[in-house]
Amino acid sequence: MTAMTMTAFEMPAPCIAPCRVARIVGVASHERDVAAEMKSDLIAMLPRLRRFARSLTRSATEADDLVQEACLRALSRSDQWDPTQPLDRWVFRITRNLWISEIRKRGVRMGEGQVPAEETSELVSPVTGEHSVAATELQAQIAALPAELSSVLLAVSVEGYSYAEAAELLDVPIGTVMSRVHRARKTLAAKLSDSGGYDK
Amino acid sequence: MTQYEEKLSAFLDGELPEKDAREIEAALERDPALQAELDALMQADALAQDAFAEILAEPVPAALAAAVRDAPEARPANVSTAPMGSSWWAAAAVVLALGLGGAGGYMTGLSQETPVAAAPGWLVDIADYHRVYAGQKRHLVEVGADEADHIRTWLTNTVGAPVPTPDLSEHGLTFRGARLLVAAGKPVAQLMYTDADDRVVALCLIATDSPREGTAVQTIGAFEMVSWGGNGANFVIVGDEGRSDLEAIAATAGIST
Repeated sequence: MTAMTMTAFEMPAPCIAPCRVARIVGVASHERDVAAEMKSDLIAMLPRLRRFARSLTRSATEADDLVQEACLRALSRSDQWDPTQPLDRWVFRITRNLWISEIRKRGVRMGEGQVPAEETSELVSPVTGEHSVAATELQAQIAALPAELSSVLLAVSVEGYSYAEAAELLDVPIGTVMSRVHRARKTLAAKLSDSGGYDK
Repeated sequence: MTQYEEKLSAFLDGELPEKDAREIEAALERDPALQAELDALMQADALAQDAFAEILAEPVPAALAAAVRDAPEARPANVSTAPMGSSWWAAAAVVLALGLGGAGGYMTGLSQETPVAAAPGWLVDIADYHRVYAGQKRHLVEVGADEADHIRTWLTNTVGAPVPTPDLSEHGLTFRGARLLVAAGKPVAQLMYTDADDRVVALCLIATDSPREGTAVQTIGAFEMVSWGGNGANFVIVGDEGRSDLEAIAATAGIST
């Protein structure tokens, strides 16, 4: 903001060049521009955010609500994002944290009492039945996995995160990532062998 | 099954220490049951990747995109109201014309005078993806080159423009497979090639009603990009900045597209 109060005669001569002037004006609008730029990036990222949210919620409608909430939160806190870090991982974490708190709220509403934070990653989404209709056969197989397995599988096998990165993203120990990704594949593989394999 | 069975996933993900990985490799050779187990896990992986790729290919609900686009900012937004998927090339071109691309990002301050500068920079996205995926050894691609037919059908259907898998072997490049990306709110086909030194060169393709005319060469981040248009799509070849053969590669790819 100090740049805005600076008067023209205080500026060294080269500042008259258009780019310098723009940059000085830009200091004041820096945070706005970060938000505007983030907004563009978020829109471009929506398909991946929806996919990540789907792995948590198992419901397309709930996933979209979650993504919207996460994007609004990210934009309202754009000053908290460290631009040297990947935006997607930051927003994934916001998404995941929002979902965890949503599940905890529902747990309370459903009379299950307060759930300790360290156990929430073990929670299976309470969404069941008509809400979790999968669009296709393929997605039905994924939707049949418990949420804690499908989100790890997405992070490691599809997004290509290392176990350490997935552990940080999903707030679970690395060993848990390892066992869950294995359990997820085993579960899918068992179903595949029942149905005669998967042939694209 | 065996003592190794539990480690197969970590083996598949390249997360085992070298010594353990070699033990697994040896065990796989002498134990067909273990090999079958690994094959089953890989098949499960392929299913998961296809299932999740389907979600990526779904159109984003307009209401969701609009809600993000119209989300409140510190001041009335006048920079991001361009409809999604609007001229990605124009946006990227403006970013480049302003000399912002070379810095590996946008410069703040100028965007308020130039509305499109804040629109998603397709090529900047591509540079980001390239930085991430070119470092991947085991997960370089979503679908491997052995399924080239499937890649062409899948990506052509998803991207909405014919996706070829051109033979670039005359430039010492081996086709490795493909990924589906999203840039500027639209699906993008990314075909991966590697040279003898394992350096990655990618051919990316996005559908458009007005393919660009002529060829452009830019540097974004540490990558060089050669782009052209045709056949309902815009194309870009991406490789390390130091490469001198990208234009020749683009020429070959351009002929086959």
